[in-house]
Amino acid sequence: MGEYGYSMHPYFKEMPEVGKALSRELKQNIEQIKEVEAEVAQEADRVKNTGKATEAMNSKGEMTAWQRLEYLVDPGTWCPLHTIYDPVGNEEGNTGVIDGLGKIAGKWAVIIASNNKIMAGAWIPGQADNILRVTDIAKKLHIPLVWVLNCSGVKLMEQEEVYANRRGNGTPFYRHAELNQMGIPVIVGIYGTNPAGGGYHAVSPTTLIAHQKANMAVGGGGIVGGMNPKGYFDDEAAEQLIEATRKFKSTPPGRVEIHYNGTGFFREACDTEEAVLDTIKKYIKDMPAYHPDFFRVADPAEPKFPAEDIYSLVPFNQKRGYQLREVLARLFDNSEHMEYKPDYGPEIYCGLAKIDGYLCGFIGNNQGALGDYPEYTDQYKGIGGKLYRQGLIKMSEFVTFCGRDRIPVVWVQDTTGIDVGDIAEKAELLGLGQSLIYSIESTDIPMMLLVLRKGTAAAHYVMGGPNANNNNVFTLGTATTEIYVMHGETAAAASYSRRLVKEKDAGKPLGPVIEKMNDMVKQYHDKSRPAYCAKRGFVDEVVNMTDLRNYCKAFVGSVYQNPASICPFHQMITPRVIRG
Amino acid sequence: MANFESPLSGKILELNLEVGQAVNEDDEVIVIEAMKMENPIYCPATGTVKELKVKVGDQVNEGDILAVIE
Repeated sequence: MGEYGYSMHPYFKEMPEVGKALSRELKQNIEQIKEVEAEVAQEADRVKNTGKATEAMNSKGEMTAWQRLEYLVDPGTWCPLHTIYDPVGNEEGNTGVIDGLGKIAGKWAVIIASNNKIMAGAWIPGQADNILRVTDIAKKLHIPLVWVLNCSGVKLMEQEEVYANRRGNGTPFYRHAELNQMGIPVIVGIYGTNPAGGGYHAVSPTTLIAHQKANMAVGGGGIVGGMNPKGYFDDEAAEQLIEATRKFKSTPPGRVEIHYNGTGFFREACDTEEAVLDTIKKYIKDMPAYHPDFFRVADPAEPKFPAEDIYSLVPFNQKRGYQLREVLARLFDNSEHMEYKPDYGPEIYCGLAKIDGYLCGFIGNNQGALGDYPEYTDQYKGIGGKLYRQGLIKMSEFVTFCGRDRIPVVWVQDTTGIDVGDIAEKAELLGLGQSLIYSIESTDIPMMLLVLRKGTAAAHYVMGGPNANNNNVFTLGTATTEIYVMHGETAAAASYSRRLVKEKDAGKPLGPVIEKMNDMVKQYHDKSRPAYCAKRGFVDEVVNMTDLRNYCKAFVGSVYQNPASICPFHQMITPRVIRG
Repeated sequence: MANFESPLSGKILELNLEVGQAVNEDDEVIVIEAMKMENPIYCPATGTVKELKVKVGDQVNEGDILAVIE
C-alpha cells in the first residue's frame, strides 16, 4: 500500500490473470530480432559519434549534450525519442537535437537538448519538425518541457531549408507561447552563444537559467564586413575580408552582464555547467505534479513473466501467427487485466490493465485463425491482423469509454488492413474505419502506439496511428516493425499485372517487367525496415523488446502526473461495462 | 480422449507432435499454412498423443482430425 488508500479496489486491486510461462525459447527467432536491434543501436551510435569529439569538448571545459542529459535526468528513467530521426536525409545524418521523456527530480518532463557537437547546435534541416514533435508531446501529456539549449542559429549554407516556412525553425517560438498559455512551463538552461534563432529559443521559455559564459541576442556580433557593395566576391574583396577579419575582435551581445545584471531576463546565472542543470532540477522539483500514488489504483507490480520471453513470442517471420495476450502479459502489472468483450470482434483485443499502478487501456490485433468469423459472410474465413465489422465497432466503443473515463490508451498494432471486397463494403467497413477515427478524435486522451509488427493500409491510420495528431503522443517501432501501404508483392502485382498481360499478348519478353516488379518488391522491403521508419519519422523510436514496458511506464506516468482533466474512479463506466 | 480437430483448412507446415508425447493444453504444436499466413495451432487438451493422423505437407480441411489426445 502506498501513501493513500485505493478507490474502487474491488475492480482494480486484483484483476483476472493473463498469460502463461513460455513453453520453449525460439533461439533462431531471438537471434533474428536481436540482430536487427543491434543494427538500430549502431545507427544510434553513429548519431552519437557525429561531430566534434567528446574529449576535445571536455578539454575546453564544455560538456556534450549527451553528458548534460545524463547529469540532468534521474537514472533509469530516460526514454529517448527521435534518436536517428533525419526526415530530409541531411548531411549531418540527424536533426541536431536530442530528446526524450525522462524524470528530473522525480517528475516526468519532455527534455530536448541542442547537439552541441554539431556546428555549435545549429539549426539544420529536419530540426524544426523534430522540435514540433517534442512540443506536441509536452502539450498532450501536460508536463513541463525542458530545453538544454546551445544553439548557434541558422546553418547559413542551408538557410532555405531551415529558416522559412510554416513548420520552420521559427514555429517553436509560437509553440512555446502556446504551451505557456496552456499552463505548461518551459524551462531552459542556456549554454554558449545563442544569436538570432538561438536567441528566440532562449527567450521564449518560461524560466531562463544561464551558464556564466552564455549569451542570447536578436543577432550575432561576429559578422565581419557587412554588405558587399559589389554584389559578388573577387580577389580584391577576399583580400579586404581577410584584413578585416584579422583585426576583428567580437564580443557577442547579450551576455550575462546584459541579460542577468541588466534586463533580468536570466532568472539565474550559474558558475558551472553542472550548476545550470542543478538549477533546472531545483525548479522542476517545485512544479505542480500529483503525488505518484494519487492516481494509482493499486501498488505497482512487475509482470509475472520476463520481458525476455517477447523475443520468443513475437515471430520474426511476418507470416507466422502468435498470441498477442502472451505479449501483453509481459507488459501488464502482475500480468493482470480486464478484457472488454472477448467474445465479440475476436480479431481485436481491448482491455484495461495497470502499468506501474496506473489504469491504462490497451487495444491490439489478435493473430491467427478466427473460426466462423466474420459473421457477415460464409464465403471466407477471417484471420487475425485483419479488421472486420465487429472489431471496428468494438474499438470505437472502447475508445469512447476510455475517452469518457480519461483513461490513456496504448495501441499495439500488427495489422494487414481492413477486409476488402463488396462483401466487406456491404458490411460497412469503410464507414466503420472512419467512425473509429471520429471516435478517437472525439476523445481528449493521450494515446501511445506500438507498431509491434505490421502497420499496413488504412488500418495503420485508424488504430491510433501517428496521423491522430491530437491524440497520438508518440509511436514506437520494434525490430519486427514493417510500415507500408501494402506488401511489396501485392503492390507490384497491382502496378504491373495489366502490363504483363499486354506484353504477353504482344509476344514480347516478360523479363523487363518482372525485373521492375522485383525492384518494387525490394524498394518496399528496404523502405519499411525499422531503422528506415525511425529515420523518416514513421515511428518516433525503435525500441528493444525488453524496453517496451519502460516506455509504457513513462507514457502512463506522464499522463497521470498533472492531468488537465479527471474522471473520478468511482464514476468510471468502462470497468462496469466489462464486469457487466 | 479428445479429438484434435483442425480449426481451418490449409497445409500442414510444421508438426511438433509424436505418438506417446505428453502435451499441454494451449501448447503450440502444429503450424498450418492458410490465407497466406502460417497459423500456429494450439493443443486443445492436456494429455498424451495417442494417434497422429497427419504429416507435414498434408492438405487438411476444417474439422479434420489431426490427432487424438488421451
